[in-house]
Amino acid sequence: MNLSRREFVAYTAAIGLPANVRPPAARHGCVILPVRGQCSLPESATGYARALADVNASLLVIPAVLEIPQNLQALIAQRLQTRGTVLVESGAGFSAGTAFNRHRDSLREVIDVAVGAPVNLWRGAAGVPYVDYTWPHAATIRDFSQAVAVPAQSGDVIANAAGLPVALRRRIGSGTLIFLGSPLGPALWAGDAEARRWVLAVARASAPPPAGAR
Amino acid sequence: MSSSRRGQAKLAAQPNCSKIANMKKSIGDNMIPKDWDLARGLDLIKQAGYDGVEFWLGDMPWFQLTTTDADVRELRRKVANAGLVVSNVSTGLHWASPLSARDPKVRAQASHIVERQIETATLLGADAILVVAGLVTAEVPYNEVYQRCVDALRPLGESAARAGVKIGCENCNAEQRFLMGPREFAEFLNDINSPAVGIHLDVGNIHETGFAEQWIEIHGPRITRIHLKDTLKHRGRCGDQSVYTNLFLGDNNWPAIRAALTKVGYDGWLIAEMEARYRYAPDQQFYDTAQAMDRLIASRF
Repeated sequence: MNLSRREFVAYTAAIGLPANVRPPAARHGCVILPVRGQCSLPESATGYARALADVNASLLVIPAVLEIPQNLQALIAQRLQTRGTVLVESGAGFSAGTAFNRHRDSLREVIDVAVGAPVNLWRGAAGVPYVDYTWPHAATIRDFSQAVAVPAQSGDVIANAAGLPVALRRRIGSGTLIFLGSPLGPALWAGDAEARRWVLAVARASAPPPAGAR
Repeated sequence: MSSSRRGQAKLAAQPNCSKIANMKKSIGDNMIPKDWDLARGLDLIKQAGYDGVEFWLGDMPWFQLTTTDADVRELRRKVANAGLVVSNVSTGLHWASPLSARDPKVRAQASHIVERQIETATLLGADAILVVAGLVTAEVPYNEVYQRCVDALRPLGESAARAGVKIGCENCNAEQRFLMGPREFAEFLNDINSPAVGIHLDVGNIHETGFAEQWIEIHGPRITRIHLKDTLKHRGRCGDQSVYTNLFLGDNNWPAIRAALTKVGYDGWLIAEMEARYRYAPDQQFYDTAQAMDRLIASRF
C-alpha cells in the first residue's frame, strides 16, 4: 500500500464511505475520499471510484465536498509534496447562506482557493450549458445545474461553463491541485464516456505512485 | 354432449368468473368537488358503487404531509364509516420533488414523501402506494434520472417490504419522458430488484407510444394497481386540451385491455383517474365512471 499508516488512519477517520464505494485502499495509488458528513453527492464518490478503480496514479480525489476538515490539510500537502495530484470537487452548488460560507471559508483555509457564490447555469441559458474543459485535453461534459465560480487567482482556469470559469489547476511544489466548481462525479456515475476519458487523462497526467506502492 | 357436460364446458370457457368477482373499484379523493368535505365525498363514492377510495397525499386539505398519525387514523375511521376501504395512497408531490433531482435537499424530500406514503398506507390499512419515480428534463438527463431512481428505490423498497406495502412506480410516459416502453420499464424494475417495487399501471398514460394491453401482458404479476382513464391520441399533448377523457370515449382498446387483465390473472383494484372533469353535475361523473368500470369488469362491450 502506498499510504503510510498515519495517512491511512487519518483518511479513514475523515471519511464516511457509501457502501458501494471502494475503500481508500488505493491498491493503485488513487484515493477517493468522501468526507464524512460533508460529501453532498454520494453518487459523485461512486462515480470516481468506478472510473478510477484500476488506475495507477498518485491521485487523491475529494468528491462533492462541502466543508474540508482542517485535519486533511497536512495530508493534502503531503500528496502535493510527493508529486501527487489532489482533485477537490465542490459539492456546494446547491448550498446557500451559512452552509455556503462555511464551504467558501474552508476552501480558502485548507487549500487556498477562492470561490464565488453558486450560479444557476440554466437561468437564461440558451441550450445546454456544457462545461468545456481545456486541460489535460479539450472535453465537453454535461453541467450539473449549479456551479461554483472560480474568480481570477493563482493557477490556470481549465474549464468554463456559460462563460463562467468553473475549474482551476494550480502547480504547488512538484504536485498539482485541481479544483472543480462544477461536479464531474455524477457524470462519471451516470456513465458519461467523455467524463471518464477526462478523469483518466487527469490520472495519466499525475505522477505514478511512489516506489514500493503495491 | 349431455346438458350437464355442456354446462361444465360453458363454465370451463369462463375460467375467470371468480377473478371478475374479486376486482374492486376505486376512485381518487381528489375527484371530490373542491367545495365538498370528505364525508360528503365518501358518501358519493359509496353511493356511486365504488368499493374503495384512493387517497392523494398533498392534494386535498384532509391529507397533507403535515397531517398527523392521529388524523390519518381518523380518516380511516371516516372511510370505514362510509362502508369503504382505502385502495392505495398516491401523490402528485413528486412532480415538484422528484427522486431524480440533482439537489440533494430535494431528493431527500422526495424520499421523505415516499416514506410518509408508506407510513400512511399502513395507518389507512392499504398495502400499495403510487410513486412518480423520476422526471427527465432538458436539465437533468435520462442517464442520471435512471441511476438516481434505482439508487433511491432500493432502500425505499426495503422500507416498503418491512411495512408490507408495495411501491407502484407509475408509467407517466409522456409527462416524465422516462421509461417509455414496457421492456425498458421491466429492466428498470429488474435493476431495482425488490419484490416490493412494481408498476402502478395507468392504461391512459401510454398514449401513442404503445398499447396498454401489451404493458399488462409484459408486467403481469408486477402490477400493483391499475389506473383507468381513456386517451384521445389525436390530441397529443399540445395546446390546452386534455389528452384524457372518460372511459370508452377515447382510443384505448378496452376489450383488449380486459382480455389482457384476464390473461395475466389481475384481479386487484381498478382505480378511476379522470383528468377531464364534468363541467356541470360533477357527481354524475362518479356514477357514469362506476358503471363503465362495471362493464369493463364484466367484459360487456
